[in-house]
Amino acid sequence: MAITFGTLLALLSIAVIAYPFLGKKRYRLVSASFVTREKLRAERLRIYRKISDVESDFTSGDLTEQDYFLQRDQLRIAAAEILRQEAGASSSNSQREEELEKEIAQLREEAARPPEGGDAL
Amino acid sequence: MADLGIMALLLGVALSAYAAVGAIVGEKMRMAELAVSAHRALYMTTASAAVASAALIYAFVQNDFSIEYVANHSNTFMDRAFVWVAFYAGNEGSLLYILLVLAVISAISIWCAPKRLARSMPWTIAILALTQLFYFSVLVFSASPFELLESVPEDGRGINPLLTHPGMFSHPPLLMGGLIAITVPFAFVSGALIAGNFGDDWIDVARVSAIIGWGVLGTGMLLGAWWAYTILGWGGYWAWDPIENVALMPWLVMTAFIHSIMVQKRRGMFRMWNVALLNIGFVLAQLGMFINRGGPVVSVHSFAASSLGLIFLSFMLVSLVFAFALFLWRMPQMKSDRNMESFMSREASFLVNNFLFLSVMAVTLWGVLFPLFSDFARDVSVSVSAPYFDRANGPVLLGIVAMMGIGPLLPWRKASARSLKQWFVLPIIVLIVTVVILVVLGVQRPVAIFSFAVVAFVAASIVEEWWRGTAARHRSGDNWALAWWRLINGNRPRHGGYIVHISILMLGLGIIGTNFYQQRTDGAIGLGESLIIDNYRVEYVDRGDASRPDRIAQWAEMSVYQIDPEDYRQEIDFARAQGSTGFTLKDSTRRPNDEMIDTIEPWHGFYLDFNMASVRSGIRSTIVEDLYVIPRDFLSDGRVSLAVSINPLAWWLWASGPFFIIGTMVALWPQPAVEKRPARSSLKPDPSIETEGEE
Repeated sequence: MAITFGTLLALLSIAVIAYPFLGKKRYRLVSASFVTREKLRAERLRIYRKISDVESDFTSGDLTEQDYFLQRDQLRIAAAEILRQEAGASSSNSQREEELEKEIAQLREEAARPPEGGDAL
Repeated sequence: MADLGIMALLLGVALSAYAAVGAIVGEKMRMAELAVSAHRALYMTTASAAVASAALIYAFVQNDFSIEYVANHSNTFMDRAFVWVAFYAGNEGSLLYILLVLAVISAISIWCAPKRLARSMPWTIAILALTQLFYFSVLVFSASPFELLESVPEDGRGINPLLTHPGMFSHPPLLMGGLIAITVPFAFVSGALIAGNFGDDWIDVARVSAIIGWGVLGTGMLLGAWWAYTILGWGGYWAWDPIENVALMPWLVMTAFIHSIMVQKRRGMFRMWNVALLNIGFVLAQLGMFINRGGPVVSVHSFAASSLGLIFLSFMLVSLVFAFALFLWRMPQMKSDRNMESFMSREASFLVNNFLFLSVMAVTLWGVLFPLFSDFARDVSVSVSAPYFDRANGPVLLGIVAMMGIGPLLPWRKASARSLKQWFVLPIIVLIVTVVILVVLGVQRPVAIFSFAVVAFVAASIVEEWWRGTAARHRSGDNWALAWWRLINGNRPRHGGYIVHISILMLGLGIIGTNFYQQRTDGAIGLGESLIIDNYRVEYVDRGDASRPDRIAQWAEMSVYQIDPEDYRQEIDFARAQGSTGFTLKDSTRRPNDEMIDTIEPWHGFYLDFNMASVRSGIRSTIVEDLYVIPRDFLSDGRVSLAVSINPLAWWLWASGPFFIIGTMVALWPQPAVEKRPARSSLKPDPSIETEGEE
């Protein structure tokens, strides 16, 4: 019984790790542009959080008015810069993706392109 | 079941090795299938560890004494509830438990990891997989819990009697889990550095995983203190034992980390410092494993001496070299975004607090290692005991508590004289008033008075922060309760931290009370006799005993009376003249003001197979003080030998636990989404706070 169960566990493990090689699904590593977009988005959210914290600190009296305006404006400028970079990254990325699609379609007729950020690593 | 366990462990060795190699090769060769496969192999190591653990637990449930580990840590008389405790009661089982925790948290953290860390994930997976590989290998080749006995005994040896306590269901697992959990933030940060990701992308995942490990470790230590208080029969809760210390040290470093990571988050500073703290924390966690695993020091908490010490020492040294080689390699790229502008700022206060935490860690580390150095260098065995730690660490710990009040009152960037005045006036008044009140009340010991005042100062600073923030929201139309809730909700990490600070203050009250004002007396009393201490009379009413195959248990039923010391003035004066804080009374006649307030049953057991005694102290606990009765021995003439103490404010030690957990959870709870820029707040600043220009 124990041996059977152990063997089943081993077979299951082999199946799980072999599936990416043997299954029909195709995988690709996350592209640099996707990582860049994700990083920019995370950075933007961090800045929004900081703005929220700065406002909260000012409301509670933790920050002087001068420090509040200084820090808030610096953060707003940083957020605007990130937004600009995000806009640039997504437009250049869409062009690259179109080219990539063509290449994939040529090389693999049956290849189903997974959604970005889906099954990719 | 042994076969299944061994198969699962062997499979774990193969899977973790494959995950480590596959993740790196997949990334380097840009082979997506291999990278995905390695990723999934790490999930399957969790299944392997879980099956091996389940096999061992099932063997305990089935009393399968053909397995040596089961025979050594359970018997048929053992309460079935303690199967869970028996699982990690020995070296091998505890290693399996640690591996299970590591595998589970590795899988969860990898599953939840943000996509922006994709480039560093292969390295993170490799570090987690290699750490798992180490534990799987140790379990397969050096410390298998599935070793079979040549001849199967009819019954097992039984569980260590000191472990048959409710605290054991949670204290060791939390402690071991907390130590190994430090691997996760370490793996994420190291992975990011190897991959050349020098920004702040790892901040959130490192912060959250570090706080989880830190909270678990802290809760485990507190439960350990409670266990020691109730079962070890010495009346204390913290002895600066080497095993306690090796859990405390990484906790201190991680406490420093979760403070300084806030500076990186808010101000983009201390990046290098934070990486160094995580490295130190991880290496200290490995030191804890080494000392605990049959290492060179003897402790009531450690496992029996074994060859595992050398293996864990080697792993710790490899970790040390890896962590700091990586740090030195990437140091030039980890510069902060900006420099500190003023030493009167919140970031500077965090830095001071970090140095204080590291000072306590360094003093404690020296106390742990000195006996080893002495033994090695001079062949002289020495032990470093509590007075060294108390004297060296006490003032620094008080400084840390004071910083809990000072830091949050300082603004980010820099403070002005005016803002300092605005924020510090109230807490300082509270500090002074506390000193005056305590002196007027006749409280002795200046150090304790000052310590109480510092606790009051910090409490006042938290109340002031909450008051001002709540009042600002109240002015905007919220009712007081909603305003306070929104304040907490608006910045959960910060206000969760304040709740944890409150728990530390409660802990501080308990430590000050029990360390400075404990009263203790000893005596042997017969049935009908009493022992008097301060305003308590403990009367020995009845006794019971029970003989079980594994132990001889005896207990005493005792009535606790509140007395008026004036009724006993003559005896008290006589005892004091003899230099004693208490005395025994053969006369069982009640005095006019004696009032029975409780009944306690201190218990004493002797475990034959272990040649070991275990006690359960009789405790009457109130928020003011504990009456603590230790049954040292039941004498053949019918008397019971007691050690009775009054432990002022001990209740606060244990009451701090829920606050610690709640505060940690609040700090961890995800912040409200800020995907869209929030509309400009309608809140108005506190009009009582003046604004000013640059100083």
